[in-house]
Amino acid sequence: MIRVTGLSKSFGALHAVRNLSFEAGAGRITSIIGPNGAGKSTAFNLIAGTLRPDGGRIEFEGEDITGLPPHVLARRGIARSFQITNLFFGLSVLENVRLACQALEPRRQFGRRLDRLAPPLERARRIVEEFGLAEAADETAGNLSHGDQRRLEIALCMALEPRVLLLDEPSQGMAAAETAQIDALIQSLAGRVTILLIEHDIDLVMNISDHVIVMHQGEKLFEGLPQEVRASALVREAYLGEEHATA
Amino acid sequence: MHAKHGVEAVRAVAAAAQARRRPRAGVRSVLAAVPSASPIVRWTGIGFLVVAALFPLFGSGFYTRLAIEAMLFGSIALSVDILLGYAGMLSLGQAAYFGFAAYLTAVLYTHVTSSFWLVALIVAASVGLLAFLLGAVAIRASGVYFALITFGVAEILLKIAHNTRALGGSDGIIGIPVPSVGVFGLFSIPLKHNLVFYYFVLAGIVLVYLGVRRILNTPFGRVLHAVRDNADRVPYLGYNPFWYKVCAYVLAAEVAAFGGLIYPLLRGFVSPELFGFEVSTKAVVMSLVGGIGTLVGPLIGGVIITFLEIVLGGITEHHLIVLGVIFVVFVMFLPDGFMGLARRLVAQRRGERS
Repeated sequence: MIRVTGLSKSFGALHAVRNLSFEAGAGRITSIIGPNGAGKSTAFNLIAGTLRPDGGRIEFEGEDITGLPPHVLARRGIARSFQITNLFFGLSVLENVRLACQALEPRRQFGRRLDRLAPPLERARRIVEEFGLAEAADETAGNLSHGDQRRLEIALCMALEPRVLLLDEPSQGMAAAETAQIDALIQSLAGRVTILLIEHDIDLVMNISDHVIVMHQGEKLFEGLPQEVRASALVREAYLGEEHATA
Repeated sequence: MHAKHGVEAVRAVAAAAQARRRPRAGVRSVLAAVPSASPIVRWTGIGFLVVAALFPLFGSGFYTRLAIEAMLFGSIALSVDILLGYAGMLSLGQAAYFGFAAYLTAVLYTHVTSSFWLVALIVAASVGLLAFLLGAVAIRASGVYFALITFGVAEILLKIAHNTRALGGSDGIIGIPVPSVGVFGLFSIPLKHNLVFYYFVLAGIVLVYLGVRRILNTPFGRVLHAVRDNADRVPYLGYNPFWYKVCAYVLAAEVAAFGGLIYPLLRGFVSPELFGFEVSTKAVVMSLVGGIGTLVGPLIGGVIITFLEIVLGGITEHHLIVLGVIFVVFVMFLPDGFMGLARRLVAQRRGERS
């Protein structure tokens, strides 16, 4: 589905990502983990079009998408979420989702009166309901709880009907109970869309991933099934630290 | 004075925009509903239209002409609102299109044609092209830098008008004939008469307002809302914000050009000051005083400020200082302007009744 080959990016003298290659298979959940500064966020931003790579190639369904801007990627079916909640905070929850739904309409419809273009609104209502935000539909997004904002973030992505969903630390800043909810939510999406996520919360990754890539100092250190990652001494040493090594 | 005024204006407007963007927790945002479509906006607009329709029947010729001026400057304020209230872009140079349209109109009437519609067509096309070219450059910058570029563009045009002998230099162009406006060859509207001219401009500004409202009450307008709220997020929904901003910029320029198309007929002359920073900032003040994001508010703000200027000018020669104070008071205590005040008063009334 997504194939990354020899991806590199430097910021000055810092090689944030070096020669990274991996594949995220269709319909599966692939996770990138790694300690702080491992380069996983940079890799993620390269794939999402937020940053342009210095070298390497990114393929989506066999087509080269290296260096395409975010709005083109979004239209091709690649949606991303943000580590730091990034919504239209001054607009209502429903309008946030409606804007995403509206993006699927052909642009020649964009001069029509709003009340004559019903499908995006209807679809937005269904999605808001599906993500358990119906009660807050008219609330301003900025007034939602953190957990609800994180869910809205994913709802916004799913409203784009993507084929690939890129999730940037979806459980960032969440309490354990909320993390479990997000966990379940991501798993429920797994059948519908290919998921690539980067995550700090190891337990989340281990529970839901089909395939895990471990990054360390800008390079791929290890990849495999969650249990293989857990068993790897190499990973333990680099990432999980002393406490896990002795446990 | 100019520079200081400018820096204060930028700061104040930024603060006001901030206040709008981050609603206090618990308060349902002003922006959650589309403000330009709310009933308050509709009824205030209709109320003002009634007053405007009756006004020249009671006032003197002087006040009728002043009201025309208010509507023309109001069009620049409306133009500011399209950019600031919808796309979140602060332009400090909307006078560029007002002045450009005014000069082009003056040149066309004095040298080329006496047909109002032909002039209007040429002005609209030229302003559209100019705004597209300048906009495509200015929009690559954002925030304060966008404001500075728009300011710079207006200043450059001012200098060009000022230094071009063919355009009359610092004196500008005088003796612009007032045309009659033919309507389908059936009859013609003689703009020489004050009352006729007044109702012609009123009808024009109402049509411009309705047109703008219609254009923005679309999926296109909603994308602009999204750009204002969080421009960085917009591309990830599959929208290229650049084109939406360019379209808003061209639309805004055309609206300011409406004022410029009529202004030379009101005054009979044009001068480089029409491009000036004072015209641009006054439009921002009108827009804020009226209520940004409401479209009708800036037109009302145009009336309030224009008349206030005359009234205050009769009392003190320091009327600009008083206007400055009014502006600051609005930004600090009424960031959503006159329309916000009206909305709150109505809400209060309703609360008392129930």
